[in-house]
Amino acid sequence: MINFEEELKKFHPSLEVEDAEEAIYNQDLTDMADLMVKIVKEAKKSEIQAGIEIE
Amino acid sequence: MICYQCGCSLSEHDFCTNCGADVALYKKIIYISNRFYNEGLERANVRDLTGAITSLRQSLKFNKNNVEARNLLGLVYFETGEVVAALSEWVISKNLRPKKNIADDYIDMIQTNQNRLDTINQTIKKYNQALTYCNQDSLDLAVIQLKKVLSLNPRFIRAHQLLALLYINNEEWEKAKRELTKCREIDTNNTATQRYLKEVDEMLLPEEGVKQTPRRKQKSDDVVKYQSGNETIIQPVNIRDGKGVTSLLNLGIGVIIGIAIAIFLILPARIQASRADIDEDLRKVGEQLDTKTATIDELQQQINELTKNNGDLQQDLEAYLGTDGKLRSVESLLKAADAYLTNPEEVTVVADYLEEIVQDENEDTGDNSESFESLYNTLLALVGPSVAQAYYDDGYEAYRQENYADAIPNLEKAFRYDATNGDALYNLANSYYRTGDEEKARTTYRQVIELFPGTEKASKSEGFLEEMGTED
Repeated sequence: MINFEEELKKFHPSLEVEDAEEAIYNQDLTDMADLMVKIVKEAKKSEIQAGIEIE
Repeated sequence: MICYQCGCSLSEHDFCTNCGADVALYKKIIYISNRFYNEGLERANVRDLTGAITSLRQSLKFNKNNVEARNLLGLVYFETGEVVAALSEWVISKNLRPKKNIADDYIDMIQTNQNRLDTINQTIKKYNQALTYCNQDSLDLAVIQLKKVLSLNPRFIRAHQLLALLYINNEEWEKAKRELTKCREIDTNNTATQRYLKEVDEMLLPEEGVKQTPRRKQKSDDVVKYQSGNETIIQPVNIRDGKGVTSLLNLGIGVIIGIAIAIFLILPARIQASRADIDEDLRKVGEQLDTKTATIDELQQQINELTKNNGDLQQDLEAYLGTDGKLRSVESLLKAADAYLTNPEEVTVVADYLEEIVQDENEDTGDNSESFESLYNTLLALVGPSVAQAYYDDGYEAYRQENYADAIPNLEKAFRYDATNGDALYNLANSYYRTGDEEKARTTYRQVIELFPGTEKASKSEGFLEEMGTED
């Protein structure tokens, strides 16, 4: 049984054309590739730090 | 595919041949992204737009630089009526690949047509307004607003769904189903659409669905359901008869309104048109009348001309008759000549013919030919003295016997054929005087005095003139 009030909450106002620019700027464009690169960089950094500590 | 570290093109190896970076995981990420893109494309092809959006978003989560996936996502958004979301994806896509990007065309398509852009903006604003009405519990206003939205953008799925939700709330199941069917035609596998549709179908066909609430069950008991093609018609039982009466009543009112319209609107127009036709006919008849009047006038003029011509011809005819008279004169002259040549002694016969010529000449206007005049004068010279003498003898005999009626014409002829015969003229004057024709007598006496001056006849004539006295 559909609850009108609950269903209504699922509807959100649409972005107007004037707000499109702001929406584009605020969009989070981070992807898995970015995360992987970040992880790889951090891993390399950790390895370097570990090597320094051993020495 | 390029290396995430140095930007060089990658080979089939799991490391970059330029910088030596390990790209095995990176390659897998790109492959997954492409796989989601393919999945999204397949779903979009079968109009599973919701599924396509999910797959394409996944694809972009793995690789934000997957321009094809982003462009397709924008296209799917546009198809569902989410124009701003579509524009956002295309703008990002264009930034990622400024050249040779189809997103350029999509953006131009929207931005170059200002009216279309305005319509899109109006649609979004009206949708937001409708949502506000819903939250303010002004559901009727929301329905009206959503209908306007859908008239501007019939593919706006969220608007269809919200309108269907409002219909469901008002228990207008048929209308709700209609909206949801439209949603399903645009996006076949939208979760919200499917859920609402299931609810609506349960309400329309309660025996096939799950349990009903008591309120709705009671309601369903009061209805008659029947199948019409693919549609299930639900008709309330208790208002069935009333509906028939209402239909008849509406029909009657419609007929009355129709008659009223015919009387007050159509009939005057028809009358006006008929009057206009009559006026037109009258005008045409008037024109014809004028034309005929002009023709009659023309004919009258022709009659007058013909009458005039007839008169002229009559005159010509009379002139011709005159010519005939000339011919008679010629004939008389020929007879006179013939009579003279046959018997020169019968001067009286010749004189009679010549007399006819004289009479014709008196009636005619003159103008005889030269040969005619010559012959006439010749004959007159040949027979004139004899004729004159004969007429004088007869005239004088009658004068002596006081028979002036015979004397006058003979004496006139005698003087005409012999102008030197003063006795004939004198006796003619006396004959006039004695018959009481003083006018002619006076004229003739004067001729005697003028033509024969110094003679006894002239002196006697003077005496008679004195005796008669002056003219009146």
